[in-house]
Amino acid sequence: MTSFFEILTSGQLLLAALITGTIYATVGLGLNLVYGTMRLLNVAHGEFLMLGAYVAFWGFSLFNVSPFLSAVVAGVLTAALAAALYFGMLRWCLRNPRMRKRIEPNSLLIFVGVSIILQNISALSFTGTPRGYQYLSGVMTLGSISISANRLGAFVFCIAICIATLIFLRRSATGLAIKALIQHKEAAEIVGVNVTRLEFFALCAGFATAGIVGALVSMTEQTTPFMGFPFTIAAFIVIIMGGLGNLAGGIVTGLLLGFIETYGVAFTSAAWSSILLYGVFVLALIVRPEGIFTVRQVVR
Amino acid sequence: MTKATPFLLGLLCFGLLPLTGQDYLIGVSFTLLTWIALTQSWTLLSGFAGYISLGHVVFFGLGGYFVVLTWGILPYWISLPLACLVTFVFAIAISIPVLRVSGPYFVILTFGLAEFVKYVVMAVESHLGQFGRLLLGVPSLATLYWLALFLATLATLITFVIRRSRLGQGLIAIRENEQAAEAIGVPVTRYKTIAYGLSATIPGAIGGLIALRTSYFEPQQIFDPVVSFTVLTSAIIGGSDDVRGPILGAAFLTLLSELLWARAPQLYLILLGILLIVFVVILPNGICGLLRRRAAQA
Repeated sequence: MTSFFEILTSGQLLLAALITGTIYATVGLGLNLVYGTMRLLNVAHGEFLMLGAYVAFWGFSLFNVSPFLSAVVAGVLTAALAAALYFGMLRWCLRNPRMRKRIEPNSLLIFVGVSIILQNISALSFTGTPRGYQYLSGVMTLGSISISANRLGAFVFCIAICIATLIFLRRSATGLAIKALIQHKEAAEIVGVNVTRLEFFALCAGFATAGIVGALVSMTEQTTPFMGFPFTIAAFIVIIMGGLGNLAGGIVTGLLLGFIETYGVAFTSAAWSSILLYGVFVLALIVRPEGIFTVRQVVR
Repeated sequence: MTKATPFLLGLLCFGLLPLTGQDYLIGVSFTLLTWIALTQSWTLLSGFAGYISLGHVVFFGLGGYFVVLTWGILPYWISLPLACLVTFVFAIAISIPVLRVSGPYFVILTFGLAEFVKYVVMAVESHLGQFGRLLLGVPSLATLYWLALFLATLATLITFVIRRSRLGQGLIAIRENEQAAEAIGVPVTRYKTIAYGLSATIPGAIGGLIALRTSYFEPQQIFDPVVSFTVLTSAIIGGSDDVRGPILGAAFLTLLSELLWARAPQLYLILLGILLIVFVVILPNGICGLLRRRAAQA
């Protein structure tokens, strides 16, 4: 029986919480780009992650391709799917005045449909059997902490994505334009931001992030057609509590969520993981629909 | 009375159906009636007031769970009405924080809430050492059929009456513009709370009926989000602004499900998703909107 104190001071748990948190933060980052710029409530975000996971699984089982390489392929593939959705339907919806006026609820219903379709296409083509594979699953030990190489790799990969996105949004002209778009679309348009092009770019980038994370997650978690829901929920917690368009706030929230889940489960049991996740989600929506780390509007 | 004639004829058909003695036919009609009752209840808040619920399964599941827990202690004619009371009280209790959230956030909140309750019930059941419960001595299909017919008729009547009442007009005003409705004196919070409570009531008993029909209980099965998706899709396909809508939508989906569910459940759900998207994008007022447009042109 581990004591309360032992759980609190365990370096192992700390690392586990950090890894889970970083994954959630990265998933939320993608949703933030899509929801922030286009106000599309992509409840199918987790399903794109699931597709990425299948890309990595089949890549490894059929062609022995490293999941880290598959992550790139998965990113390209989900971005292509985003482009197809955009040109097939979303572009029309965004231009239609009736749809545009109520774009949030309408896009939500559309993505509920997309989510059901993707889950069941996967179930139909890959069956519901949970899939897993062994890649870099050897355990490395550092002092009292041991970690499998694939988890460490996923961790580093996600941190790299987060940092790269932050730098991109703060330093590059395109990134700053995207931030402007998230904060105030009309004003951004007036100062010469090419809204349509950037929205399309943000959409593809957001979906690609989901696909990449999916490929990484597939190394350590079971891949099933229905694995997406919890990630969608986590992504929504990240943007609701972190604040819309506030990527740094989102990363902090993602980490917080990782800590709540990891320590919550350590103190109770694995059955509590979903209760905690959905509990935080419900609370976040009820208490703070406008975000805890809300973007302060600067008026000069 | 001309407008009521199709409803009365439909009721007569459903009333005469058990005389055929065909269990398959009665079973399918039972399923159809439960979907009609669920979808009619859903429209009270989500159709009229525009607070779209993506987690109506929570009331369905809790009602079912209540009937299962009291099975063997209470007869069904007591536990079913009590299940309604339980879900009504539950909805009223959570309405204060939940209804403060509006728009798309309300939609995802209802979904999260339903999943949350599902996992809590799963944890409770596994704590009790239960891994699925078998119900023995359930009422016959004919009995359940009559109860479903009664509930579907009741739900349709409630929707019909409320649509024409002050409450219904107030709810529609809330859907069109909540602030404006409040400004002209619509008691927004009270109306939304009443509508939420009412929309939760009949699903409680329907959940109980389904649990008795399957005579087996498992939290994942009764709290399946597919129930919420089906209700939402029925309402949108039929058109939720018309009392005929839920009936047409439910009939369409039950037929589709009967054709596909047993052989290709995934194909059925893929079609469900496609229909949802098509109706949201192209026909937002559903089949009823189409019928009204036809009638206006003629």
